[in-house]
Amino acid sequence: MDKAIEVKNLTKNYGKVRAIRGISFGVDKGEIFGLIGPNGAGKTTALRIISTLLQVTSGSVKVFGYDVTRKANKVRECISYLPEEAGAYKNLSGENYLEFMAEFYSENNQEKKSVVKRGVEIAQLSERMKDKVSTYSKGMTRKLLLARALMINPQLAILDEPTSGLDVINSQAIRRLIKSFAKNGTTVLLSSHNMLEVEFLCDRVSLIDEGLILETGSPQKLKDKYQAQNIEEVFMEVVK
Amino acid sequence: MNNFYNLVKKEMKELITRQMIISLVFMVVMFGMMGKFIGGVTEEEKKPIETAILDLDKTLISHNFIENMAQLENVRISIIDEDSMEKAIEKTKERKGKALLIVPQGFGKDIEEIKGAELEIYSIVKGLSIGEVVSSGTLGQIINNINREMALNFIQETVADKKAEDIIHPIRTKEFVVVGEKIVPGNPAMIRSVATSQSVMIPVILMMVIMYAGIMVITSMGMEKENKTLETLLTLPVKRRSIVAGKMVGAAIVALIMAGVYMIGFSYYMSSFTSEVTGAAMTAVKELGLVMTPASYLLLGASLFLAILTALSLAMILGLFAQDARSAQTMNMPIVLLVMFPFFVLMFKDLENLPLVLKVLLYLIPFSHPTIAAKALIFHNYLPVIGGMAYMGLFAATLVYITVRIFNTDKILTARFSFRKVRKRV
Repeated sequence: MDKAIEVKNLTKNYGKVRAIRGISFGVDKGEIFGLIGPNGAGKTTALRIISTLLQVTSGSVKVFGYDVTRKANKVRECISYLPEEAGAYKNLSGENYLEFMAEFYSENNQEKKSVVKRGVEIAQLSERMKDKVSTYSKGMTRKLLLARALMINPQLAILDEPTSGLDVINSQAIRRLIKSFAKNGTTVLLSSHNMLEVEFLCDRVSLIDEGLILETGSPQKLKDKYQAQNIEEVFMEVVK
Repeated sequence: MNNFYNLVKKEMKELITRQMIISLVFMVVMFGMMGKFIGGVTEEEKKPIETAILDLDKTLISHNFIENMAQLENVRISIIDEDSMEKAIEKTKERKGKALLIVPQGFGKDIEEIKGAELEIYSIVKGLSIGEVVSSGTLGQIINNINREMALNFIQETVADKKAEDIIHPIRTKEFVVVGEKIVPGNPAMIRSVATSQSVMIPVILMMVIMYAGIMVITSMGMEKENKTLETLLTLPVKRRSIVAGKMVGAAIVALIMAGVYMIGFSYYMSSFTSEVTGAAMTAVKELGLVMTPASYLLLGASLFLAILTALSLAMILGLFAQDARSAQTMNMPIVLLVMFPFFVLMFKDLENLPLVLKVLLYLIPFSHPTIAAKALIFHNYLPVIGGMAYMGLFAATLVYITVRIFNTDKILTARFSFRKVRKRV
C-alpha cells in the first residue's frame, strides 16, 4: 500500500449546493500534493472531508487504507490538519496550547515534553511562547498553529493555505519547513491560492474549479503540456 | 482518561478568565455589603427607641404611665420640661430623639373617667428608610401593650371574681397539626415555614448552578466557533464523546465553583433577613418527623446532580447553534426560562393545588423535580422523588446521545440558527 490518500468519485452536497462533483485523485506516501483553485472551487471541502470533519455524500476517501467514514478515529491518529482560518485558545499561553495538543499524541510525560520542545522550535516565538495567545498577532498565531500541526511528526499533514497571513520571510521559512518534513517521510496535502508557492512546494498538483478536478500532474509536466511559464498560466489555460 | 482530563483542564482554563473572577468577587462583595447594611438596619431596629416625653398633665396617673414606660427594654425615655409642643420637638431633636410623646392635660382624668385618653406621638422622621418607619411602629406597639395592661387591670378591679383575660377573650383556640398518624400541638403555617426552611435554598441553588452551567457550556461552544478552534479539536485523535464529556464536566466544575462562591455571598445576604426559628415550632416539626434525614439529603443531592446533568446536555445541543460567545448568552435563554418557570410557580403554590395542565407541565420540565423532591422528602414521600430522578436521567441520557450523534456528523460545523429564517417562515 503506497497511497497515503485515495479519493474516488467523491461528491459533497450542502443541501442543493454541489460543492464537489465527483473528484478522484491519489497522494503517494512522502509526497507533497497541492490542490489549486480559486475561492469556492471545493479545495477546503475536500480537505475537510479527508480530515474527517465533513461527511461524504457519495464516493470514497481512504487515508492510509482507512475509510474516513467508517474508520474516522484511525484516520485522526494519522493526520494533522491545519484549517485556513484556524485559531488557538485565547486564554492559554502559546506553550500551554502546544502542551494541550501534545498530550493527545504522547504516551508519557517525557514524550510530551519532547513534542512540545519540537513545537517551540518550529514556532520560533521565543519568549512570547509564555504569553497568552490573545496577545499574538495574526502571523504569530499562524506560526503557532503550524508548529502544532507539525510538531507531532504526523504521517499526513493536511494544510489549508499554510502561509496565509504570514509575511514573505516567514512564508519562505514555512515552505522550507514543509519541504524538510516531507523529506523525513511526512506526506503533505495542501491547498493554496498562491500558485508560485504550490509550484515551489509540490511534487504534484491538482487544478480544481467548481468542484471538479481539471488537471493533475507535476508542476513541470503541466507547464510543458500547456507550454506555460508557470502554474498560474497553466491554470488560466485549463479554465478557459 | 488522560485525554478526557486534558480536555476538562483546557475547558476550565478557557472559562476561568480574569474578567470572570473579577465579576464574581465584585458580586460577592456586593452581597456582603448589602447583607451588612441590612443586618445593620435590623440591629438598629433592636436598639431601644430614644423617646422624649413631655408631661403636661402632671398627675399620679401620668406619672405612673411614664414610670411604666421607663421599665420597658425597647424604649429609652428622657423627660422634657417645656410649655409647648414646638419647643418640645426642638428639644427632642437636640437630644437626637426619634419620637416625642406628649401627655396632654386631662390625660389622668380621662383615664379615671374612662373617656378614652389621648396621647400625642410625634415621630422625628429624617428619611423614609425602613428603620425610621419601624421605630414609630414599635412605639405604637408599646402603647398598645400598655393599653392592654391598663384595660386588664381595670376589668380585674371591676369584676374581681372573674379573670380579666377570660372577659376579653371568651373563646380561645388550641391548635394541633396532624401528619399521618402523628398529632402535635402547633400552628400549621408556623410548622410549614419551619419545615420548608430546611430546603428553602434548594431552588435558589438549583437556579444559580443551572444558569451558570448552561452559560458555561454554550459559551464554551460559542468560543470554539468564534476562535475557530473547533475544527482542529474535532480532528484530534480523541473520541467525540470524550470531547462532549470534557466540555460538560469542565463547564460543570466552573459552574459549581461560581455558584458556590455566589451562594456564600447570597446566604450571607439572606441571613440578614431570616428570623430565628422558635423552639416550640422546631420541636413540633421534629415530633411530626418533618425533618430531612441524611438519606433525604443524599436523594436531594442526586436529584440536583441529575438536573444539572440535564441542563448541561440541553446546553450542549443549544451550544451547537451558538456562533460566538455573545450569541451564547441568547442561546441560554430557553434554559433560564425552563428553570425560572417552576421556580416561581412552586415558590407561591404547592404542586397539589395547581390545575392539572400546569401540574403536567411542571412534571414535564425536568428542572421542577429537585424542588418537588425537596418538598416531598420532608414528608418522606419518596415516589415523586425517585420518579423525578428516573425522568431526569432518561431526559439527560437522550440529550447526551443526541449530542454525541450530532458531534459525529458534520452538523456540528454546519448547524446554524437564523432568526431571519424564522421570521421569514412566520
